[in-house]
Amino acid sequence: MGRLKQKGKAGAAKAYMTRSAAVKKLQCSLADFRRLCILKGIFPREPRNRKKANKGSSAPTNFYYAKDIAYLAHEPVLRKLREHKAFAKKLSRALGRGEWSSAKSLEENKPVYRLDHIIKERYPTFVDAVRDIDDALCMIFLFASLPSDSKVSPTLIENCARLAAEWQLYVMHTHSLRKVFLSIKGVYYQAEVFDQTVTWLVPYQFTQTIPSDVDVRVMLTFLELYQTLLGFVFFKLYTDAGLVYPPPLDPQKDEGAAGVGAFNLQEAKPNQVPSAAAKSKVVEVDGKRISSKDVRQTIKSISASGSGDADVEMPSVDAEAANDEDEEFVEDTTEENPEDAPDAPAFTTATLPTLKTLSTLPQSTSSKLFAPYTFWLSRETSRPIFEFIVRSFGGRIGWPATSGSGSPFDESDESITHVIIDRPLVQRPNETEAEKERRRRRKYVQPQWVVDCVNAGKILLEDLYAQGKTLPPHLSPFGDHAEAYDPTAGLVGGEDEEMEEDEEVEGDEDVVEGSEEEGTARPAKSALKAAASAEDEAALRAAELAAEAAGIDYGTFEKEAKKAQKKASKAAPAQEDEAEKDMNKMMMSNKQRKLYERMKHGQKKRAEERQNLEQKKRAIEKEKKRRAKSS
Amino acid sequence: MAAAEAKKLSKKRKAAPEEETSAAPPPSAFPQEVRLEMASEDEGEDGDASSDDGEVDEFPEIDARSDTEDEEEEGEDDESEEEDEEDEDEDEDESDASDESLHVWPKPKTVVSDITGQPKRVYPDIEPDYDSDSSTEDTPNRVGNIPMHWYDDLPHVGYDINGKKVLRPARGDELDKFLKTVEDPESWTSAFDKNMQMDKPLTAEELDIIRRLQENENPDANYDPYEPTVEWFTGKGKEEIMPLSAAPEPKRRWVPSKWEKQKVMKIVRAIRQGRIVPNKPKTASAQPQFYAIWNEEPSTGPAPPPAPKPRLPGHAESYNPPEEYLPTPEERAQWEATDPEDREREFLPQKYSALRLVPAYDNFIKERFNRQLDLYLAPRVQRTKLRIDPDSLIPKLPSPSSLRPFPVYKSLQVPHADVRVRAISVSPDGAWAVSGDESGVVRLWEVIVGKEVKRWTFKSKIGAVEWCPRTDVSFFAVGVEDHIHFIIPPNLPGPVLTATQNILAPANLPPPPANPSPVKWSSVPAAQSSSDTPILTLNLPSSPEPPKQLVWHRKGDYLASVSEGQGGVWIHQVSRRHSQAPFKKVKGTVQLVLFHPTKPHFFVATQRYVRMYNLAEQTLLKTLTPGIRWISSMDVHPSGDHLIVGG
Repeated sequence: MGRLKQKGKAGAAKAYMTRSAAVKKLQCSLADFRRLCILKGIFPREPRNRKKANKGSSAPTNFYYAKDIAYLAHEPVLRKLREHKAFAKKLSRALGRGEWSSAKSLEENKPVYRLDHIIKERYPTFVDAVRDIDDALCMIFLFASLPSDSKVSPTLIENCARLAAEWQLYVMHTHSLRKVFLSIKGVYYQAEVFDQTVTWLVPYQFTQTIPSDVDVRVMLTFLELYQTLLGFVFFKLYTDAGLVYPPPLDPQKDEGAAGVGAFNLQEAKPNQVPSAAAKSKVVEVDGKRISSKDVRQTIKSISASGSGDADVEMPSVDAEAANDEDEEFVEDTTEENPEDAPDAPAFTTATLPTLKTLSTLPQSTSSKLFAPYTFWLSRETSRPIFEFIVRSFGGRIGWPATSGSGSPFDESDESITHVIIDRPLVQRPNETEAEKERRRRRKYVQPQWVVDCVNAGKILLEDLYAQGKTLPPHLSPFGDHAEAYDPTAGLVGGEDEEMEEDEEVEGDEDVVEGSEEEGTARPAKSALKAAASAEDEAALRAAELAAEAAGIDYGTFEKEAKKAQKKASKAAPAQEDEAEKDMNKMMMSNKQRKLYERMKHGQKKRAEERQNLEQKKRAIEKEKKRRAKSS
Repeated sequence: MAAAEAKKLSKKRKAAPEEETSAAPPPSAFPQEVRLEMASEDEGEDGDASSDDGEVDEFPEIDARSDTEDEEEEGEDDESEEEDEEDEDEDEDESDASDESLHVWPKPKTVVSDITGQPKRVYPDIEPDYDSDSSTEDTPNRVGNIPMHWYDDLPHVGYDINGKKVLRPARGDELDKFLKTVEDPESWTSAFDKNMQMDKPLTAEELDIIRRLQENENPDANYDPYEPTVEWFTGKGKEEIMPLSAAPEPKRRWVPSKWEKQKVMKIVRAIRQGRIVPNKPKTASAQPQFYAIWNEEPSTGPAPPPAPKPRLPGHAESYNPPEEYLPTPEERAQWEATDPEDREREFLPQKYSALRLVPAYDNFIKERFNRQLDLYLAPRVQRTKLRIDPDSLIPKLPSPSSLRPFPVYKSLQVPHADVRVRAISVSPDGAWAVSGDESGVVRLWEVIVGKEVKRWTFKSKIGAVEWCPRTDVSFFAVGVEDHIHFIIPPNLPGPVLTATQNILAPANLPPPPANPSPVKWSSVPAAQSSSDTPILTLNLPSSPEPPKQLVWHRKGDYLASVSEGQGGVWIHQVSRRHSQAPFKKVKGTVQLVLFHPTKPHFFVATQRYVRMYNLAEQTLLKTLTPGIRWISSMDVHPSGDHLIVGG
């Protein structure tokens, strides 16, 4: 006979641990436990059977893996937290006794924990880290825009702002921005770094206040982790791009609110690179860049030969871009991409593009979309947003001094091709000739044009977005789920019905208008109805005769009859199918049936949503038509 | 006299403080005071009073003071001798008493010391004679410090030094006491003397002590808290020149400590080796140092699963969405009415004509915070997302239309009387049908016309009706009560009828079996038989219900019947006229039985299981578990390979 199995000695009861048990085991406070969980990325688990995991109790609790907690028990950070607790006691005692010198020396030897090992543990490879920086970026950008107060120290905000600027610099430098979306929450950006799409949200430039129901301590703990993570990620990104990290900050420019421009990217000297491994990586990266250009050119040539007619909307951009490849290259080296110049010698040493480097190539061909253009930002547009977007896509941009210092050129510059302006059109009677001329030469567009161009991957017609015009809707580049309503597509299924409805409406109008026609109209309608309901040949013929008697011409009758028959034939098999399906459904197991019901419910909900939107669109269009007709 | 008293008092100064602190007034002070006045008047009565102490004591009228006076007198005589000796002191005492009448303590003399040349106070010596002991003083009552209530119901309060009873002084009633407090101005300064059981006024000294105690002063009136310091061993000209000890000074006083040096050197060495940094940079200013953390090989273990990414924004979130995304007033009202947690979208789509008009999103921080709460508080489950068409979950069954032809409409309806039909069976050629109902009537129907041809009436309800599957003969079995009747239908062609009669009622009966069974076979001879009565009848063991099922073997020789209860299954062989119960005991109640069409196998269905037996070998072959709660029907395919069970 085997040994008796005791309850609670194996299985779920051993594998899971409640939160209070975990806190007890780790001998730390709940706040410390929370901090550890955030830093180590430990989250509660849902046991398959809560009752078994909680030793028979069904009280609502959070469960953690017992192994997770066991690992936490050996965490160096936990030791440091305990040391910090002792330190806090000592310090408060010293302060209470007025022993200032000992308090000072205690404060100097305050235990500080580092998160390097946690970063390495949570993200074993660099790609893992890049995949997970979305939340980190969101937080950094949020805190960079927060005012400092008693809980949020100014140094923290400064550091966040620095990290945000470093990220933007990197994205601009590598032209890895892909999509931009102006939402009501803020601006969503999506970049492609190391083949990972990184999406982050930046709030609009307004002062945010932390609501009282938000626990700042939790956010600060997350921020602690995110700052370290981003530091390491940026270090790797910068060194791989052959740049010095951290980029030196020009304090004078920073004083002048130059923003991103206050940092200057420095090329890392090859002999400065400490290890051979890093060096080889740099070379590889350089090789990638060169080869990417090649690949892009070939792709362009292919697409140009394949689809010549697709360029209706983008006048000469592609051709220009293709021709301007060298020009742009020169421009970059002179202006804001000084990093390209030292790349040229690396070209000779470049290794062949491996599969990996090829796969890390930017997929879109439009990463230098704005390269041929020079933009001027009007005073009321947000400089950080558009400076980042335009420069990420290779354009040059300038801004008035009111938006901050560091503009590479001023408004009178002749090279300006576009002015991004966001104010209503006003007449300017007293304009000088030069100004008028300048006005004519430049294109005045609303900010949405820039973003829509980026998302479309081509330069759109400026007329739609001209100053003072009503903008076309701004759509999300991320799209909705597969069978969601597509606002760009015309109403496909609804066309016939719409026509029909219109006809019906007209018919109603007829009825209202002409009372003398009423007599003929009614039998006609009834005849049509009979045709619709006619099932077999004989009935159809009878209906036809009736229609003829009512004075309906044969064409309309036939059309109507066909439509009705189609509808009937469609309805009948559907009904039959439904009955059969119901019969088959009885053979499903309970589990399968539940899954089926759930899936069907979701589908139905989505379809309803879609239908709702389509209906609204139809109503709006009808309204528009009516208005156009009446005006 | 007064001077003498004062002197005497001074002798008792040691005892005085103790008595003053206690609640009771000093017993010694009072009588003397009183005596000062009375001595002259009552001198003559002394002798009388002392002589008849015992008799007079009874009376409360007698002045209690007289008792005490006696003893005082005696004491006084002794004292007179002492007075002479202390004459030199008396001079001073008298003068002191005059200006400081409240003085209790003996007055010190201030004398210039011969040695120091300083004035010093000299107190009078204490004579250690009999009188100096306060315990032996003139309290007439010598009972000592005992609870005085012991004497409560006695006429005396104790004994004096001579062993005579000290009588209880007369004490007035409450009225007297009150009057006394009114009349006597000294009554409020008097206290009850426990030992003497009477009130005695306090002396001025005692009152002064009380006052001082009340005011938290030193009870000694002479005590001077601000006496000038007298420098005896310090000050100018009094320095110590000579050492107190002649021992030589120890070495440790002037040699540097070896241990201290070792400790210091330890620190010095640590600093030299860099283990201790004397002026370490402050930790607060230490910036995190970044380095190529991903340069070394990653660990082989799998990376922790990444947190799910938040959903990407759709068109509705745009600052300038297509108009159809804007909510209608009803939708807006509904959105506002729902709880923030239940909303499908956390925002309402809004449309702004220009980017500059877009305000700050007020839930920005809150949403970010919620996301973080999700990251560290929400349980995560890894789920494989199903990318299948839900319709693929439905099992494919053959379409009913492919199963045609099947009866789709009712061709014939035969009305039956009001009773419920319990069993029906169709003849193997399909021309006849026989039905049995609850009232015990068995009817024969012609299927094509639906006409009732014949009816048989039995006593109770029919349990089962089953036509024999043989085609060369024609008869059916009816299960009623404990019987199974075999009936030959009417209007049979001649050869079939004789064949049937030969089978059911043969001329020469087969030999009875070796072990007779409880089932009795009784038949009517073929010549007398008609279609009106059963030709053959089986008497089953008694059972409350009729046989609920009759099953023929395909060859038509064996008939199985199922009745209620254990051992309800019987197999009857018509040719041998023999019945046997194949099972002694069956687990569960038997619902149905069935013969295998080709093999000697037998299916028995209980509520949940179908068991398959081999009748020839009498073994259990298989137990089938169809998973049905209650098996109600069962049939076997003619090939015998498939069994269909319904519940």
